[in-house]
Amino acid sequence: MSKTITLTIDDRKVTAPEGEKLLWVALENDIYIPNLCAIKEEGRPSASCRLCFVHVEGLPAPVTSCTQAVREGMVVKTRTPQVDRLVRTAFELLLSDHRLKCSTCPQNRSCELQKIARARGLKLKLKRFKSLGKEYPLYESPGLFTFDRSRCVLCGRCVWVDHEVAKVGAIGFARRGLKRMVTTFGNIDLDASSCTECGLCVKACPVGALNFTGEQSSEKDG
Amino acid sequence: MSAIVIEGYYAGLKSKADHKLLPLKEKPVIWVGTATCGKAAGAIEVREAFKKEIKSRGLDAEVMEVGCMGHCYAEPLTVISKPGFPPLCYGHVDEGLVKRLVEDFLVNDDPCYEYAMVALEPNDIFPTLTDFPRGAYEEKIILEDCGFIDPEDIDHYIAREGYAALAKVLTMKPEEVLEEIKASNLRGRGGAGFPAGIKWEACRKSPGSEKYVIVNADEGDPGAFMDRSILESNPHLVIEGLIISAYTIGSSRGYFYVRSEYPQAIRRLETALEQAREKGLLGNSIMGSDFNFDIEIFRGSGAFVCGEGTALINSMEGKMGIPEHRPPRLAESGFRGKPTLLNNVKTFAYVPAIIRKGADWFKSTGTSKSPGTAVFSLVGKVGNSGLVEVPMGTTLRQLVYDVGEGIPGEKKFKAVQIGGPSGGCLPESALDVPIDFDSLHEAGAIMGSGGLVILDEDDCMVAIARYFLEFTQKESCGKCTFCRLGTKHMLDILTRITKGQEEDLASLDILRELAEDIEAGSLCNLGKTAPNPVLTTIRYFLDEYKEHIVNKRCPALMCTDLIAFYIAPEKCSKLCNACVGSCPTEAVYTREDGLKAINQDKCVKCNNCLKACPTEYSAVIKLSPPELVVEKEREQK
Amino acid sequence: MQGVTKRHYVIISKGDVFVLKPSENEKEIIIEHVAEILGGWRADRENLIPILQDVQDRLGYLPGVAMEKIATAMDIPAVDVFGLATFYNQFRLNPPGDHQFKVCMGTACYMVGGNIAMDSFKRRLSIGEGDTTPDRKFSLERVVCVGCCSIAPVVVVDDMIEGKVTPTRVDGILLAFEDKHQKKDDNKGNQGQEGV
Repeated sequence: MSKTITLTIDDRKVTAPEGEKLLWVALENDIYIPNLCAIKEEGRPSASCRLCFVHVEGLPAPVTSCTQAVREGMVVKTRTPQVDRLVRTAFELLLSDHRLKCSTCPQNRSCELQKIARARGLKLKLKRFKSLGKEYPLYESPGLFTFDRSRCVLCGRCVWVDHEVAKVGAIGFARRGLKRMVTTFGNIDLDASSCTECGLCVKACPVGALNFTGEQSSEKDG
Repeated sequence: MSAIVIEGYYAGLKSKADHKLLPLKEKPVIWVGTATCGKAAGAIEVREAFKKEIKSRGLDAEVMEVGCMGHCYAEPLTVISKPGFPPLCYGHVDEGLVKRLVEDFLVNDDPCYEYAMVALEPNDIFPTLTDFPRGAYEEKIILEDCGFIDPEDIDHYIAREGYAALAKVLTMKPEEVLEEIKASNLRGRGGAGFPAGIKWEACRKSPGSEKYVIVNADEGDPGAFMDRSILESNPHLVIEGLIISAYTIGSSRGYFYVRSEYPQAIRRLETALEQAREKGLLGNSIMGSDFNFDIEIFRGSGAFVCGEGTALINSMEGKMGIPEHRPPRLAESGFRGKPTLLNNVKTFAYVPAIIRKGADWFKSTGTSKSPGTAVFSLVGKVGNSGLVEVPMGTTLRQLVYDVGEGIPGEKKFKAVQIGGPSGGCLPESALDVPIDFDSLHEAGAIMGSGGLVILDEDDCMVAIARYFLEFTQKESCGKCTFCRLGTKHMLDILTRITKGQEEDLASLDILRELAEDIEAGSLCNLGKTAPNPVLTTIRYFLDEYKEHIVNKRCPALMCTDLIAFYIAPEKCSKLCNACVGSCPTEAVYTREDGLKAINQDKCVKCNNCLKACPTEYSAVIKLSPPELVVEKEREQK
Repeated sequence: MQGVTKRHYVIISKGDVFVLKPSENEKEIIIEHVAEILGGWRADRENLIPILQDVQDRLGYLPGVAMEKIATAMDIPAVDVFGLATFYNQFRLNPPGDHQFKVCMGTACYMVGGNIAMDSFKRRLSIGEGDTTPDRKFSLERVVCVGCCSIAPVVVVDDMIEGKVTPTRVDGILLAFEDKHQKKDDNKGNQGQEGV
């Protein structure tokens, strides 16, 4: 794994350890690829947000860069018409299931979705698809943070830090399909659950679903 | 390893089984098909009635339970074999017929030929299966013994050469077995048709001594039931195939992953495993060899997505059945992170015959690229529903019209839905497509697990596409964006179309674009194939979509929001009240002149009145768009 | 925070929250059963689904307290057990009715009126899919193909499969149960015997 290889991303030669996932190689070299669900430390990438598509020369169709291991001589394009089409559709699909009132969102201007829109010239508006009208009650923890599921994009970062870093196990995924959600045991409020209010999940959230309130609200970084 | 020991062991098993079954040849035996479908049609009552009649008359006859012969349209089915007569099969058996058969046939030697469907052995008196078109086309490899052996008695299987293939394999080197499977070009019957030999080889080559073999019996395609039927009718066939695969790749533990919706299959499998252990066919030093292997059953918990390999493994590991990105392939890292071989029930079921008769024999059936047979559950608007096994390369037309005996009731054929939620709908013009993995794929459908639903002029193609999308949408695990949200938007558009709420033909473009992106962008194969039913119906039945959108009309008169029920006064009779009584919501009423009419506000469009109306009147009709009713009523006045 | 504090409706069906809180007495019984079932298994994540199946086979559903006990025994977060139970169709978090109607919605059944059978049950029982009648006598579910396509449309009544179910047959099925309950009640009045 320690062998260093050279690959080309968007006509730029970069070096990386062989076998490293392409997404991280690109990001570490300041080449942006949209992503929401990727966690570098995670053993097997969840590959669920479907935003990090790239074109790898020799492969017939775009691949997700979070799952693609780099190898010597690989030639990668982060933008092709095919890639752009998939990223745009995935992005619009996520927006259709996300409450789109950025002006009232505490995460306004530091939201990962806004970043993707900027980077790829995408609109933060629905045109092709109708909004699915996801509405959940807002949860406010006593003093520390809020949890707005209507803005959750189900990337799973909060669940991962809760389980693997904080080792609390207060939140997890439940149900399936369109009803898949991040929740607590028995779907009770967070303050009634085993949540320790460590705040790690709030820091992990790439969008405006989990937000600090009060003094700590500036701590979260998009 | 000493071949003599193994051959001797098998010879012992075989002669014991033969000896045990000998008495069955000397007295009348009644075989009742009690697979789930037979039971549902009343097979248990039939079995009990036979037992009672035989007992009350003090006859020396045996009543045995067998699985499913595949002739589901005629359930409950019974076969009577009496020395001196060919074994005869009777369909639609009820208690009255039981009495007659016992009295006339068992007591008095009159086989009641007028009630017999078919004889099961060549004879001079009564036609056999091969005298019918269906029998002429059918060529049974994996269904051969289904319905003819007692699935709960291993000796029935052994007496029919069961476990002979295992005995042979144990005297071979694993790599020789692998070569035979590879040479047979057996392709996986789970849907995609990936060559089994290559999968087996990859598993065999994967490093490590801990490996697993798993039977995928998470049959979830709505409309497909062959895996259930095989497990209920001949479980040992699959067990034998699994043991052979384990020997080949070097595994000592296997699993059956069976849906918990199939309780009878699970029960029969449990019995079969227990009996196989007693006979030394599972456990340590199988058949006296130094090969050790055992099998456990894992009950799936009802999630369609678990048919996908990585999701199935997650579920076996106690997690949500959610697919993972591949690679790594299961052959490298599967159950417990170890090399794992996962094949469908049917794939394993072909293995014993291939080993016994050789790869060349197997390749003599079917086409060169898809050798062997295909098993289909033929359902829907077809005369002869049931489970059929035909050589690959048979055309859809032969399957629908010859094997299935065509569309009942002089209706017009419209399409055949093949491959379930991942498959597609093929129209009349595609009926001459030969059935094999590659031809079907080219036509836009897939072999899938073999569900084949035949649709006639009364079936709306938009509603069918919507039905499958709703299914995938409900069954989507929800992990990846395209499948979770993309299928939802497709479903919403289709729902609006079937309700007459979609105004814009451009919605068809969005539907198509979205379908293509879901195909390209989804994480797993379930998502990637989910748009197939929509893509094929748009491709072959675009006009029907347009009728719904432009004229708010459902040409098949199926979409309830676009139809209305109407009683034609000129056909209605004052003397008949059938429709009034049939209506669950009191929408049908008697007019002052004694004729009947429908209060549209109360009507729930349940179809009851149409069914109740005697055929000599046929006064209840469906109209689309519903506004036609107003017109008709105005005409009346 | 203005603008987001407004309370919206909850997208959650009854099936996901524990509607019934078991009494202390019931709780004890549940815990006893769960302990017994856990005794028969290695407390290994791989056995989680079989254990949940055993509990549901025994109790008819998965009470919250049972899930918590199992999670503790396996040393995994309770929310993971909850997630699993809400992911799979098989598991239910609330007790089922005395009698269960499962309407098959496989392709073959749908084509010949599975949805009509479903609508008839909904209308007659005045409940929706996945619900139980207030008297807890009946519950209604949809299932995806029970593999009896040749006698479609199919309804599974408790463990018996009924084929070719029309709205009239739905009425017949319900009537048969009403008769049974009637008899049961009568018998109770007389001798307290079990009805047929």
